[in-house]
Amino acid sequence: MQCNVEKRFPRKIAALASIFAFTENFFAEHKIGTAHAFTMNFVIEELFTNMVKYNPENGREISLELEVAAGGLVVRLTDYDVEPFDMTRTPPVDTTLPLEDRRVGGLGIHLVKSMVDRVDYEHVNGESRVTVFKSLEKEDV
Amino acid sequence: MFEARLSGENEVALTGRFDASQVERARVVFDALNKTTRVNFKDLEYISSAGLGVLIATQKRLTDSGAKLTLSNLTGHVKDIFYYAGFDKIFEIE
Repeated sequence: MQCNVEKRFPRKIAALASIFAFTENFFAEHKIGTAHAFTMNFVIEELFTNMVKYNPENGREISLELEVAAGGLVVRLTDYDVEPFDMTRTPPVDTTLPLEDRRVGGLGIHLVKSMVDRVDYEHVNGESRVTVFKSLEKEDV
Repeated sequence: MFEARLSGENEVALTGRFDASQVERARVVFDALNKTTRVNFKDLEYISSAGLGVLIATQKRLTDSGAKLTLSNLTGHVKDIFYYAGFDKIFEIE
């Protein structure tokens, strides 16, 4: 079975409520378990808010695609008219550091990479596209 | 719906979904803390790195004055996120 939906959202943090309404509807329709739903909502929020933060003046909406395919969940976010920014190449965060050496930010993308099976980035014709794959075979975070 | 509220002496209760759109609302409560405070996660369904950022910023500020946040009633996927983030090493988790 292969199912794909796509919706575009305004470039603002306040859009998260409508994004989660959209994802929860998809997860319910496809009987996605709570652990995978939690993980993918987390992933989508981190990727979406990064796109908002790094291109706040861009007037284009951001595309979110959800797909159940090949035994997993695929999430794809596409940003338009933007410079390349490969968030998959951001350095890892050392989560063993003591409090005084920990940064307040920078944790989101690191967690995304540790929670899913695959993250791909491409930049083509001014479009930045991040595709995440999470296997549905094991029910964990 | 997210809520952060004082729920007793030196306790903050979190309810709902703590995403990036709720950071300012949470900061109103966390920035006012000035002594050791327990954060009760019993009714929190979701947290993202934005929420984790509020907690770590508060922990840094309180630690500088000899106080701290402690975390209680962490369960399920929210608890998993804290361990993924290594927060068990910088917070006391009850």
